Amino acid sequence: MSQQPPPIEEQIEQARSPLSEAWEMFRRNHAAVAALVVLGLIVIGAIIGPFLYPTDPFEMVWAPFSPPGAEGFLLGTDYLGRDLMAMIINGARVSLIIGLAAAVVSIFIGVTIGALAGFYRGILEEILMRITEFFQVLPTLLFSMVIVALFGASLPMITLAIGIVSWTAVARITRAEFLRIRELEYVMASRASGVQNMKLMFRVILPNALPPIIVQSALMVGSAILFEAGLSFLGLTDPNVVSWGQIIGSNRQYILDASYTVTIPGLAIFVTVLAISLVGDGLNDALNPKLRSR
Amino acid sequence: MADTPNTPLLTVDKLGVRFAVKRGGGWGKRAFLYAVDDVSFTVNRGETLAIVGESGSGKTTAALAVARLTAAYTGSVKLDGQELLGLEGEELRQARNKVQFIFQDPYSSLNPRQRAEDIVREPLVSLTDKSGAEQQQIIDRLFAEVGLRPEQKRLFPHQFSGGQRQRIGIARALATQPQLIICDEPVSALDVAVQAQILNLLRDLQSELGLTYLFISHDLGVVQHMCDSIAVMYMGRIVEHTDRLSLFNNPLHPYTKALLSAVPSVDKKRRAETKRILIPGDPPDPVNLPPGCRFANRCPAATDVCRQSEPPLTDHGGYHRVACHLVNDSKTAAI
Repeated sequence: MSQQPPPIEEQIEQARSPLSEAWEMFRRNHAAVAALVVLGLIVIGAIIGPFLYPTDPFEMVWAPFSPPGAEGFLLGTDYLGRDLMAMIINGARVSLIIGLAAAVVSIFIGVTIGALAGFYRGILEEILMRITEFFQVLPTLLFSMVIVALFGASLPMITLAIGIVSWTAVARITRAEFLRIRELEYVMASRASGVQNMKLMFRVILPNALPPIIVQSALMVGSAILFEAGLSFLGLTDPNVVSWGQIIGSNRQYILDASYTVTIPGLAIFVTVLAISLVGDGLNDALNPKLRSR
Repeated sequence: MADTPNTPLLTVDKLGVRFAVKRGGGWGKRAFLYAVDDVSFTVNRGETLAIVGESGSGKTTAALAVARLTAAYTGSVKLDGQELLGLEGEELRQARNKVQFIFQDPYSSLNPRQRAEDIVREPLVSLTDKSGAEQQQIIDRLFAEVGLRPEQKRLFPHQFSGGQRQRIGIARALATQPQLIICDEPVSALDVAVQAQILNLLRDLQSELGLTYLFISHDLGVVQHMCDSIAVMYMGRIVEHTDRLSLFNNPLHPYTKALLSAVPSVDKKRRAETKRILIPGDPPDPVNLPPGCRFANRCPAATDVCRQSEPPLTDHGGYHRVACHLVNDSKTAAI
């Protein structure tokens, strides 16, 4: 014993949950921290923005195609003379909510299917994984368009459509982690301790399988926002709400005359998705034990 | 404990565990790998039976089957007269109280997201109806019993050393006051100094609490230190089963002889006396086993009989059971 262990008080001090340890790692990734700050600002802007800037995004406030900065409109007006600033602020809320909700839907489906397949193995796994592969080979955009076209372009339906086409990656990751962890001795030990299957799946294995799922979920919020933008661009959107994709879609004919009406919402999507991706990347580093204590 | 000695606590009879393996890929025929084949043994109350054998001999699988952690396809496992195989639901839960497991690798046998006390608490929550205060009292006592400080209860597994982690594993196994504890190579992942501490702890606990151990190991040095009787396994079968002294002083099966000759010794004289018996070749393919004795292809004394019929495990007096055609034959005496 060459090294004296630290006093017990200090050790207990260090007995933090793995979560706070992950935060310690996350903090070292400066790009991720910066992205988290940007993302925080975007979220705050989406929540309180409409109160600070109460212009109705659907109201014609000025002549169409007023360039940014002119006539007191910070981001100008679109082809119907609506205030682009108000549209971006209100669109943030819709884009973020759809992104989050769609990610939640796909995590719910993916984790359930992946956990059942990886835990019970056998015939159930075969069936569930063939279903997953079926969804994987469907062209996602086309499939979600069909769902939205059939069941109507309301926000919940769009969210559901995005969630239904994008859960497969989560299911495969969850299954892979379950396959790995179910063979570990501490799962065997819990079984010997009489822990029931449901608890074994969701209280013992799932918490240990979470890191890659969390990373995937973070990235999925970004791709869901892109997905929603794609659908809105194609006109498959609720006409009563404004989203970033919809702004681009409705102004796309005027891209040569008033390029800012397309670039500004495009930039908003770009910055948001980039921030989410960087945060996801930071989470990956923070939650991957192999990168710890470097 | 009021238990009378020399009465069997655990009786395992013709236990078999097999795994389906796919051969030839695709729609290839399903074949079975018989990891444990026709294994029978008993463990007396308060005693320790060691199962030794090389990697892949089926010793761990047999132990897992006894603890109902892997499914046996045939045979019987009786604990204190109660059949364990086939128990379901509540009855199985009750039975799990009585059989606990200490795992080989203390680094993977503790859930990294649980604090030490919660790891020890788990069997109490799932297997007993004890109140929170009672559980805490038991946990405190167990920590003292296995030599951990009470302040360490709140720590996470990664803050412990390998030996301390194994102590947590032992405390967890003791929590429900089991009659039988199965130790699956409990010290093979630890360094030698710590091995001795853990082995001594296990022995002290045994004499204090009247525990019965089923001790799985590949290390004959450890086994010699720990047990009352020994079963040697090879390719899923018991080849020799007797008490410790007979096995070490008078091994009858050629495989046991080879194993014993491989135990390193610091005693110069003993080293000069014992010639190392080398066994050539590899174990046979476990899926397509040859018809005769499983050890025949590596046995220095194998005859035609060995290659044709499988030797039964027969008693050669004083409960010294050996599965070899050539015991009492002059040829084996030569090796």
